[in-house]
Amino acid sequence: MPRVELSGVSKAFVTREREVQALQPTDLGVEPHEFVALVGPSGCGKSTILNLIAGLLQPSSGVVRYDGAAVQSVNRAVGYMTQKDTLLPWRTAADNIRVALELKCRAGSRNDAESRVAQIIDLVGLGGFEKHYPAELSGGMRKRVALARTLIYEPETLLMDEPFGALDAQLKLLMLDQLQALTRQRRMTVLFVTHDLGEAITLADRVVVFSARPGRIRTIRAIDLPRPRDVFSIRFTEAFAHLHESLWDELKDEVARGTDV
Amino acid sequence: MSGVRPQAAGAGLARSQLPQPNLASLLSTSLGRSLARLLLALMLLALWQYQPSDKLRFWMSGPVQIVGRLWTWLLDGSLWGNVGSTLLAMSLGYTIGTGIGVALGLLFGLMPRLHRVLSPYITALYAMPKIALAPLFVIVLGIGIESKVALVAITVFFLVLNSTLDGVRNVDRDLVRALSLMGATRSEVIRKVLIPATLPWIFTGMRIAVRYAFTNTLLAELIASNSGIGFMIEYYSGVFDATGTYAAILVLVIMSVGLTELLTTIEAKMSHG
Repeated sequence: MPRVELSGVSKAFVTREREVQALQPTDLGVEPHEFVALVGPSGCGKSTILNLIAGLLQPSSGVVRYDGAAVQSVNRAVGYMTQKDTLLPWRTAADNIRVALELKCRAGSRNDAESRVAQIIDLVGLGGFEKHYPAELSGGMRKRVALARTLIYEPETLLMDEPFGALDAQLKLLMLDQLQALTRQRRMTVLFVTHDLGEAITLADRVVVFSARPGRIRTIRAIDLPRPRDVFSIRFTEAFAHLHESLWDELKDEVARGTDV
Repeated sequence: MSGVRPQAAGAGLARSQLPQPNLASLLSTSLGRSLARLLLALMLLALWQYQPSDKLRFWMSGPVQIVGRLWTWLLDGSLWGNVGSTLLAMSLGYTIGTGIGVALGLLFGLMPRLHRVLSPYITALYAMPKIALAPLFVIVLGIGIESKVALVAITVFFLVLNSTLDGVRNVDRDLVRALSLMGATRSEVIRKVLIPATLPWIFTGMRIAVRYAFTNTLLAELIASNSGIGFMIEYYSGVFDATGTYAAILVLVIMSVGLTELLTTIEAKMSHG
């Protein structure tokens, strides 16, 4: 049984008495422990899909299933790292990262909370900034706090909406490496929305290319590069270049169409 | 001897040119300003004390008489009784108004449909000058402390209610969603997001409400009561006792300055912490 399954799912938004079709009826299944990257031009409904899986939106038609059950309210099995970092401004970086461990549903993990926070701060390279408030951190650092906050409670499924868009190239590679290691080690299911085709090929088992608005799936490509992948050098291999070229062929028309809108 | 003279003349000339810049520079130091203020006050007090007309004395009293009256009140205990009465009514009303304001503000924030039903009434009552209710409270609750507390409480209540509601309405919904996705229960979302995000708004309302509470305690006492500083002012002016009236007003000035200083200190501490 797929972990996440979209059957005939579409979504339309009503703005100023005009209906805008964000997502055309779409079918997509994501298996347990699979890493799926969603790429496509802006406004193609990628973020809408994550919101539907998280249960923050309800589809206009069709049904979203998680572990076989229809998602009807906030889906607590997923960890969602949104495009906007939703850090609590009155808490320090460390306190923000800890917040998930303070909740009743994870009461058991309170004892080792401190060591886990210290460990994950080290992992995302935030050492020395534990006591800083979000307003005192750069955009990239806030992203890392948000990532640490999501990873620390090890959700079964990870939804990520352009998590590394604000990072510089070197740091992005480091973070991709960490993300790959963590999600493999903890056998997480990941849906990863990105603009960056290279990022998608580096990490994913499958890459889903979306068409410009109204969004629909244009093509799905399995990435058969061997694992574990070296995020620093894989982009220089021939297999990577082939995949990148053929997927870029699919994507570039859509990006061109997307920018007209 | 003759060699000394030109020097002395030169020094005298320099001194006579200096006085004006000297006065200006004296006033720009804090000691100089304090001295000037003191001098001004002493001049006005002397003018007040030694004005020649006996008719004016009846309406204006005099500083010596006023201080004498204050001394009498201090000795017979009536000063502390009335200051205490005003402060007690104010703080009771303030506490009750704040408590109910915060509680209902959070409740309406959590139940927007209830708030939407009630909002026309709240707006109407908020817009109305609460002092108009004072005579009503006197009829219902008498001229004791209860009517004062009621007036202060209702004034403070609406101020705090509205700032709390503004606070709840301005909570970032994305923060609420983020916590819900992590598995937070409703009460955890309230404790970890809603209340901390609303606190600055509540404090703003509470800060503004202090001054309103003080003014309205006084107004309630002026309208009808049997104790308090406002009662003293009203009582002594009612019996044409200028000395008593001025003495009570002086107490009020001291209390206002004290309250303002206290608020400034607290605000400074809060903005630094």
